[in-house]
Order: sequence, then C-alpha cells, then structure tokens
Amino acid sequence: MAAATTVRDNRTQTILWVDLSEGSTRLETLPEAWTAKYLGSRGVNARLLFDHVPAGTDPLGPDNVLFFGTGPLDGLPVGMGRISIACKSPRGTVAEGSCGGFFGPEMRRAGVDYIAIRGQADHPVYLYIQDSASGEVAELRDARHLWGLKTDETDAALRRELADPDVQFRYIGPAAENLVHASPIFGNLHNSGGRAGCGQVMGSKGLKAIAVRGTQGIRVADYDAFVDAYKVLRQRLDLATSRDMWTPVWSTYGAPVLARLFPDLGNLMTRNAQQMTWDYDKAMRISSEPYLDSYVTKAKACYCCPWPACQKLHKIDSGKYGGFKGGNYWAAQPVVFGSLIDNDDLELLLVLSGLCNQYGLDVFHVGYTLAWAMECFEHGLLTTTDADGLELRFGCTDKDGLVDLIPKIARREGFGGLLALGCAEAAKVVGQGSERFCLAVKGQELEGIPQRNLYMVALGIAVSEVGPDHTRWYPPYPCNPSLISPEELAELGIDLDLRLAFQGRNPEQKGKLLRWFTISRAIVESLPSCVFLVRDTLGLDLRPWWKLFRAATGFDLDYREFVAAGERLMNLDRAFNVREGYRRADDRPPVRMATEDVPGFGYPRLAPERFEPMLDEYYEANGWSVTTSIPTRRKLAELGLDDVAAEFAALGIEAEP
Amino acid sequence: MKRIYVIESLCNGCRLCETFCSSLASGVFGAADSRIRVIKLPGEEQDIPLIDCDGRCVRPIDDSGGPTCVSLCPTGALIYEGQEGAAAKRLELAAARQAHSLFKVVAPWKWPLPWRLT
Repeated sequence: MAAATTVRDNRTQTILWVDLSEGSTRLETLPEAWTAKYLGSRGVNARLLFDHVPAGTDPLGPDNVLFFGTGPLDGLPVGMGRISIACKSPRGTVAEGSCGGFFGPEMRRAGVDYIAIRGQADHPVYLYIQDSASGEVAELRDARHLWGLKTDETDAALRRELADPDVQFRYIGPAAENLVHASPIFGNLHNSGGRAGCGQVMGSKGLKAIAVRGTQGIRVADYDAFVDAYKVLRQRLDLATSRDMWTPVWSTYGAPVLARLFPDLGNLMTRNAQQMTWDYDKAMRISSEPYLDSYVTKAKACYCCPWPACQKLHKIDSGKYGGFKGGNYWAAQPVVFGSLIDNDDLELLLVLSGLCNQYGLDVFHVGYTLAWAMECFEHGLLTTTDADGLELRFGCTDKDGLVDLIPKIARREGFGGLLALGCAEAAKVVGQGSERFCLAVKGQELEGIPQRNLYMVALGIAVSEVGPDHTRWYPPYPCNPSLISPEELAELGIDLDLRLAFQGRNPEQKGKLLRWFTISRAIVESLPSCVFLVRDTLGLDLRPWWKLFRAATGFDLDYREFVAAGERLMNLDRAFNVREGYRRADDRPPVRMATEDVPGFGYPRLAPERFEPMLDEYYEANGWSVTTSIPTRRKLAELGLDDVAAEFAALGIEAEP
Repeated sequence: MKRIYVIESLCNGCRLCETFCSSLASGVFGAADSRIRVIKLPGEEQDIPLIDCDGRCVRPIDDSGGPTCVSLCPTGALIYEGQEGAAAKRLELAAARQAHSLFKVVAPWKWPLPWRLT
C-alpha cells in the first residue's frame, strides 16, 4: 500500500532563511496577501530583493541575498518546473533568471517555496533540505570535497552521497567558484539560470550546491476549474491544435533552426555582428536537422511540459570528440559558438558549449567575449602572444586551442583570465577603442536575437533591468493578428495597434508592445510557467493563466488585478536599479548597433532619431519619467507601492508626481 | 483486451503522467498513490515509466476512450492498445524512424504535419 501523502495548498508560501556566516536556517511563512499581490516566483523575488538588499550593497559580500523562488503553480502541471533565481548582480543591476528542470517542484514538495541565502561560509558548504513534514528542515553540510568539481561531476558525487534517485540539485561549477563574470547556476546537468552572475554570487558565499527532497502532494482549491483551464492551455500548446506555426517546430527541432532561417532576413549575427548574414551551407551544417540526424540520443523535458522534445540529449559517437555527451542544444549555441565566431563545425560547437556547461560558464558571456577578442585580434589590438599562442581568427582554424581555452576561462588562467572578465571589463583593460567591438548592455553580453531588424528587441535589451535578456519579452513578435480582434484587445485592456506593432523596423508602437510583453511575461514567470510556452494567443490573452491561478490558489482576483501584479513586478525591478543609480542614459543599445548600418540589407543603425522616440513611448506608457526613467509617484501609488516612493524620498531620489 | 503500453525510448521524463494520475482519484497532484511512476537513471540518460494500472481510468480527461495519462503524454510514449495494436504501433514507429530522425523524439501519431517514407 502506498504511504499516505502530506498535502499542501497554494495560498500561502514559505521561505527558508539561511545565514551562511552563522550557519543557521529558519523557516517562515510569507504574508498570504503576497500571493495575490506578487503571485510568486519572480514577483515575490522582486519584492524580497528590493526589501532585503539595500542600495550600495556589495554584490560579492555577505549582505547580498540570493533568492530561489518557486510559486503557487510550481509542482502542478503548469509550472514546468521553473524557478526564479535572483540577487544583486556583481555589475550592480538586478540579477534574475528563470531555470527549468525538476528542482522547483521538489522544493514545493518539501514545503519550502523560497530559499534566501545570506552571509558567507568560512569553508565550502552545501545546503540539504528535507521534507518539512518529517521534522528536520534543512542542514548545512561540508562541501570541501565538492569544491572545484565540474557540474556533471558535482551532480554524480552528490547523487552517490545522498543515495536517493529523486533528490534534486542546483549547483555551481568552477567558473562561479572563481567568481568569473556572468556565471549562472546549473541543475539537471544541462539546465541553467541566473546568467547575470547569480552563480558568481553563490560562489562568493561558499555555497557549492543545494539538494532538496520532498514527499508532499499539492491540492488545488478548485479541481474541476483547474482541469478545465488546463485543457484550454493544452489546446493552445499541443502540436495538433495550437494555432501557432512555431509550436511543432520549437517543440521538436528546437530553436537552432533559426541559424538557417535568420541569414536570409539579415538577422544572424555573424563575425561579431560585423555582418548579419551567413553562408547558407555553413548555417545548414549547424542547424537542428543535422543535429537531430547524427547526434540526438533522446528527448528530454522539464517538469510536466506539454512539448515533446524542446530539450534533447546528444552524444558524439566517434572521431576526435568521440564519446562527448551533452544536452539542450538551443538558440544560444548556434549563434555564439557558430555564426558569431564563424564556426560551422557542429561537433566543435557542441564541445565548446558542453564545456561551458561542465565548467559552469555562461555561453553568451564566453561567445561574445571570444568574438570581441577575435575582432580585436583582426585589428591588431590583441596578438598571439597576448592569447597564449592562440590564433584568434574568425573561422576557428585553431580548434584545439579553443577547446583548451574554455577551462582556462573558468580557472582564470593566462589569457582565460582576460576573457573571464566579460567583454565590457576586458575592453577597459585592452582599451584602444576595443569597446566598440563589445556587444553588451549594462556590462552584460547580448543574446541571439537581432536588433536592427526588430526594433522591439533593440528597445527590450536596452531597457531590461537585468541586462540583455530575451526571456523578459519573448517571443519578439505578437501572435498572429488574425487570432485576436481589436475589440478583444481593448476588452483585455491592451492599448496596442497590432498592425503597426508587427512592423519590425517601424519605431511606432514598439514602446507599448514592449510594455505589454514585459508585463505579461512577468506574470507568466511569477506563476511560474515557461515563457517559451507563450504560444498561440497565450501572450496577449492571459485569461487561461488567470483561470489556472484562481483555481490553484482560490484567490478571487479579478483580471485587471492579476495583470497589475506583472506591472508591479516591472516597477520593483526598475526601482531597484533606480536606487542603484541607473537612469535613462543607461538604457542604450550596444555601440555597434547604434552606429553601424546592417551591410547588404539597408537596415539603418539605431540612430537617436529612431531609438529615442521608442524610449519615450515606453517610459510614457509605463508612467515613468521620460527624462530620468524613474517611476512617477502616481504610478507607484496606483500599484500599491507607496513604500517604494517613500524610500526614494528618504534617499533623496526625486520622483515626479 | 486493451491496456497501457510503454514505448520507453520515447519517454522524455517529464513526469506529467505521474503528477496527474494521483489527482484523478484524490485531487492531489504528485501524491504517492499514482499508478504510474517515472524512474530516472542517474545522468538523466534513461526515463522509464512503470505502470501498475489496468487502464480503466477513474477519470478520463477527454472522450478518446483512453486513460488520462495516455491522452496527456506529449511524446506518444504511452499508448492504450490491445496486444496486436501495440505491436503495430511499435512497427509504425520503427518505420517512421527509418524515414525521418524526427521520430527519435516524438511518435508519428503525435506529429501533425505531413511527412513521407522516402
């Protein structure tokens, strides 16, 4: 007979406070009202971060707090296992990222919805959380034997040590231990999150890993309503019924098909975005089709995802890299280790990105910094002597040299030490105008989506409070406009002309479009669920998500209040950055995009006459000051964030009325 | 007689069947009384659904005639068939895999777009 299951609901959320300096842990319950006001996950993390990490906190010191957050829909077949990881970034902004896999549901099953980590351990430790129903909540254990291990080695070592096949982990690799720029946190081997340096902060605290095991079940408030709402969600997302042409493609082939769809559109960043097209044969060699044909071994998924094979495992069978295993070949890698450095060797690409996962590095950091170094090399600003003998040329002739370089970045050895800084800081070391080859905003490297052909993307990466992060507004276009009428849009409270919003290089409506996308994705990530599942009309019509939230929690929130939670989160993120001194002047595209036209396509640079009106529209629509980007007092009051306005006043930050 | 068969090579380990199953009887998601469990081997390299159920679902989610877990399975790794039907489905998958690598990760009966045996 099966053991009886302890059951929990979704109205109140708990937080485990861990102080690594004191070696103490304490489980608390968050106010029930927070679930209605901030939903959960990213929303609650934004509130916690604003409250507990005051302006000027040293990001790598004991007072920075690292938050792991689930949410009321995590552990249910909607949360997709997402967790929000948040702290103050070592670059000074908000650092927040979503991570998939199976860790979040296990936290909820253990009765711990949030983990807040402060202090610094005097020797490496890991946190082990067990089911709160069984008494013992959490303990800090010695991790000296794990320190220095790669992510896959850490996973295997912890699994041996805890001898429980269902225990879930999050851990950092050697890069984060060595405080390498932008290091994220890893789990389930190939999932990662928090690329704005959350791993770096975890490393600074001496925390190698978190292990969690729970046994509780989760009851929703209204089962029939929940199942009805779930059926609607599935209808929007299933391969056969989704009205979104990308659903079957993304959920089986995955985003690397973009490598061959983008070049013809002037959308593929090639040779550090000096060009925006690439040889079609080269692109075809790294696209999803050869990947699926020759390397994929099986489909993988995050917790309860309705998509069959968004993730896959792969193995290189023979040859130089024979036996190399990895997973999760997605949109990032074909750009950063493909077109960006002009590499069309898929095996080299899989090895470079696989090594980044094993050493705990952020692939965007490494790819863009490598491409920056290659362009510096072309201009004679770096030489083979600087690069420890490596011929740093686009086209990647010295493949062995590149493979050797990845561990050196993680260990900060030799030339790897320069690249470990990220391109913005490395450009300061090299100087001589190398800053213009650095494709970064607020010190963080770009991602895969182009800016000069998709203006909403340009605006989105410029204003993002965490630095370039496409998950804040993904996907970069509205749904098929024929699926939703202007009357329905108005009914949903969305002030948007979809026809104009759709025009990629028309600055009009991009501010409003980005505003709505940022609010709606903030909601999806607060439930939480996965922003890649914002398919069909799910990014414009949030009622399916709203019904799931109501049925799961029992909160009788009306639709406008539900949407307001997303706007509240967006304002808390902005307020955190405002408090740290960030203003309108920091919301800029990279120098290259602002000063160079796209060669061969006639797409102009993002000159002020095109870019500034979009910024104006965005700030105005948000109720933020157009001159400073600071949220107005009226907007903060409207969202019930008077405490934020009061703190601005106390710090002498002048918010407009 | 029809029952639930597993095509192990298609299971992506998402645990949707396991999570949903217990809720059908008790309303509790992810409870210990699920009639299906997904065993995950270390290194995430194998996902094996183990079933202890005759397929007569206490609460089918749709009117397909099959149990909820089969209806919800994203890849087609769970099928509700008689012995001969199950064998036919396995043959169909093997033939599809010969024709297209797509069917390493999804069953042909879950794929909505045209494709052809070459």
